[in-house]
Amino acid sequence: MLDKILYNTVLCQTYSPCGKYLIAGNIYGQLAVFDLDRILNPVVELLTPDFNKPKHIHNLETGNQICSLVATDKFLVVGSVNVIYGWDWKAILGVKLSKPSWQIKISSKSSLEHIDVNSLCLSDDGEKLYAGCGDNNTYIFNLEDRRQLSVLSGHDDYIHSVHGKNDQIISCGEDGIVLLWDLRSTKFHNKIEPHKNSKVCRPDIGKWVGSAALRDDWIVCGGGPRLALWHIRSLDVATIFDLPDHGIHVSYFHDDCVIAGGASKHLYQLSYSGEIRVELPVSATTVYSAVLKTNPNVLAIAGSSPEIDLCTSFNYRDQILHFR
Amino acid sequence: MGKEEASTKKRRKINSSSSTEVGKQGPADLYKRVVEFEEIESQLRPAEKDAALFRKICHDVRQIFSDISELKSKDTDEAKEKINSKRVEASLLLVTLKKLNRLEKVRTRAGREALHKEKQQVDSTHLLLQNLLYEADHLNKEVTKCLQFKSKDEEIELVPLEDFYKDAPEEISRPEVTKTDEHQLQLARLEWELQQRRDLAGACSELVASKERVAAAIAAARSRLDALAPHLRDVLKATKPLQECLAMRLDEKRDESRAASLLPPPLFLLFANSSAYSDALGEEIVTLSISGDEDEARRLEQQSSVENELIVSNDSDSDQDNNDEDQREKKKRHHRTSKISKEEKAEAKKKEVFRKHPLNVQVSVKVQDGTALNLIFSYLLHLKIITVKFTVSLPKPVTGVSAADVLNGSCILNELYPADSGNDSPHPATAYLLKVAGITEDFQHFISEVGRPYIWAQRMCGLDFMATVFDNQKNNKTFQPCPTLSVTTVEHFILTLRKRMKSRVDLMKELQDLECGKILPLKGIYGSIRLSGSLTQWQSVGWPEYSQSPSTTFLISEGLVSQNDMLYRAIITRQSAKLVALVALKSDYPKKSPIFSLTLHWNGTHHSGINDDIRDIERVINTDWCVESSKQPLLTIQMTKLLTYMDILLETSGSLEFPPDKVMFSPVRGRNRIKPYKFIKQGTGIFVQF
Repeated sequence: MLDKILYNTVLCQTYSPCGKYLIAGNIYGQLAVFDLDRILNPVVELLTPDFNKPKHIHNLETGNQICSLVATDKFLVVGSVNVIYGWDWKAILGVKLSKPSWQIKISSKSSLEHIDVNSLCLSDDGEKLYAGCGDNNTYIFNLEDRRQLSVLSGHDDYIHSVHGKNDQIISCGEDGIVLLWDLRSTKFHNKIEPHKNSKVCRPDIGKWVGSAALRDDWIVCGGGPRLALWHIRSLDVATIFDLPDHGIHVSYFHDDCVIAGGASKHLYQLSYSGEIRVELPVSATTVYSAVLKTNPNVLAIAGSSPEIDLCTSFNYRDQILHFR
Repeated sequence: MGKEEASTKKRRKINSSSSTEVGKQGPADLYKRVVEFEEIESQLRPAEKDAALFRKICHDVRQIFSDISELKSKDTDEAKEKINSKRVEASLLLVTLKKLNRLEKVRTRAGREALHKEKQQVDSTHLLLQNLLYEADHLNKEVTKCLQFKSKDEEIELVPLEDFYKDAPEEISRPEVTKTDEHQLQLARLEWELQQRRDLAGACSELVASKERVAAAIAAARSRLDALAPHLRDVLKATKPLQECLAMRLDEKRDESRAASLLPPPLFLLFANSSAYSDALGEEIVTLSISGDEDEARRLEQQSSVENELIVSNDSDSDQDNNDEDQREKKKRHHRTSKISKEEKAEAKKKEVFRKHPLNVQVSVKVQDGTALNLIFSYLLHLKIITVKFTVSLPKPVTGVSAADVLNGSCILNELYPADSGNDSPHPATAYLLKVAGITEDFQHFISEVGRPYIWAQRMCGLDFMATVFDNQKNNKTFQPCPTLSVTTVEHFILTLRKRMKSRVDLMKELQDLECGKILPLKGIYGSIRLSGSLTQWQSVGWPEYSQSPSTTFLISEGLVSQNDMLYRAIITRQSAKLVALVALKSDYPKKSPIFSLTLHWNGTHHSGINDDIRDIERVINTDWCVESSKQPLLTIQMTKLLTYMDILLETSGSLEFPPDKVMFSPVRGRNRIKPYKFIKQGTGIFVQF
């Protein structure tokens, strides 16, 4: 039997609030803690051959996959199956993972049904947590007392991604629908179905939408259909990005450009008008997570590979981390 | 003046008288007498006086001459007269002068003779002196020679002085004399020495005589024993019918053990231990025999025993000789110009280096179904290693090509123990020995001729080269096989080999089925699933083809698959979809599971490097998602799984070509859209993701 870690797939990553650590979660329920300080500013004398390996690898007791991660000032919030954990940062950075500080159970109807917490997102003020789950619902929790505030239901299949900006939330899912929500009500007020648009649909890949993000008047989303920039008010396609991909799993706005990745050999930085600014080669067969952090700039790209690519300039890959 | 004149007169008188005498006696006689007289006269007259007389006469003559010239100038008669008288006077003076002259001459001669005489005397005296000096010198030399003389007795080692006084009897040591007289002491010690030596020589000859007596006794006993042998043979012959009657294999055993006694020590150990196992496990599992030329072996043994004796007598010299021989041979080779003879020589040398012991041990290990592996162990005399050749005998022929390969060739013994490929000699000195023999190729080059030197083979024969000190020639020479090592290894080896053979026979059957495109239905959970795809091809592939496939890049770069593995290609088709699986089987299958590398040809080409779905299938197959029962053949389980997963992948793709047939909760799950590859038994069975 081969070691399963050779077929490791990293689904999510996040940075610690101090910016010194990169946390990555994989499908085997493992959390890897990378010491970015040591990796990016190595002291030559202390350099060991395993410097690009995780400082610690924590194993989740259940062994379920880690679908999503988000960092608050106090806690690392981990979305696994049927449950969301909250760990104190100290516990995460320690050698041995203690019991989580808190956990939120998401109850399923039957014992066979497993609800993945596919996407976690913090509200702008950091008080609310949006969780896009495998039971087609998006839950909103108060982070202070972990009370469930509301449930947003409207999708017909599991949710791939949730993103919130101001009082607006956008969610997309396997059913190929992108829904826009207002926090004040529990009903969606707008709906996009990219697979029904003949210019963006790709029936051979599927109708699912892997990722959607909001900014001002614009939505960027893609998945089975092509990555495209949509205008909120008109709900029409503004730009179609012509990428040689087989499905988009990551897309978001950064500064004045769009960052997108998925089943492709590259991670792209694109302008609103559709030009490719940077084409970053990646180790992963499919990119499931590309998180970036400014000051200092770090972009970490992970996916279906035991390797995580690290770029400090956003222009080329300058380090490879090994999650094994 | 007057006196002078008187004397001259006298002389003249004498002269005149003598002249008269001469005239009388004859001129010669007279002359002689004159001479004698003058000689005497010259001695008598003092020379100084004559000299003064001579000067005076000269002066007178001059005076007369001057007078005469004065007179002549007067030229008178008187003068003339005077001149005449003067003239007479002058003439007389001249006569006197003559006389004086003569006397002087005589005197000179006498002086000279006297000098000569003296000289001769001095010479003879000098000669005498020289003789005496030489004699003295010679005597001195003789003296020093005598002083330096060394006596023979000084070379003889004598008993120390204290012991001498202690041991020697009084009449020899005589302390009262010897204590004071050094010379006597030496004589006494020498005498003591002589006596002692005489005694010892007597003892020695006595011992030699007794030794000869004993040797004669031994020879007599031996000849008696020899005489016994034919009798014994006769007895044996007589018992033969009885043995046959009772079905006892005594003779065979005896032959075997006789042959075994001729085996080289390592092979003997192997034979002894293996025969013990053969007895313990039964003939049907392990059988063994010795084959080869017994006479040749006997000759070799005799030769080596003679050589051993030589080695014992002068160990270092034999090495030297060998070297010399080598060099001589090299020189010879230099001289030879014809190319053919050189090649022949090299060939002969190679043969000598790889020379085997004429006897070899055959061990045959069998498993239940009758498949047997015959191993032939040979001992290379010069390289001092064991090599193994083997054959496989099958109860019935194997139909599949790739299946037959599993039991054939080197691969059945390949890596029986980790990292033991048998490609190179485990003996550290081999490379050196080959070089000395002028062989430039590696040992690997000769494997087809001599067999493979597996490490387990060395260990089975009790040879452990790891333990020997590196490059210590002397150690190697006296290197003894270790019996305990052999015991443990033989046991382990037979068990390991049987396990390997069993698994290989099983694998062979599996492969035979696979090659026919048949996948045996499995019992248990996977048995109930309907499979839509079919195995259309199964064949072995080479390393180049395997390594060139883009799907295997990852496995090769991780070092999970190597050239030593058995490689196969399976092609599974379902309608328009074609799945190519490259399968790598480790040589110790089924301890390590086969590694699959997949490429799907449907809507383009997909492999794990570019497609996550294929990667997921590889993950499930290669990392064994759920724990399997190990009773069923692993390869078949994996092939069944592969077919199942291919169905699931195609059916979840949503294509109309592949209508959903399997029961599954959800076709995809999670952000990575993983397909349900896990089968759980619930109702008719259901596929889930985790």
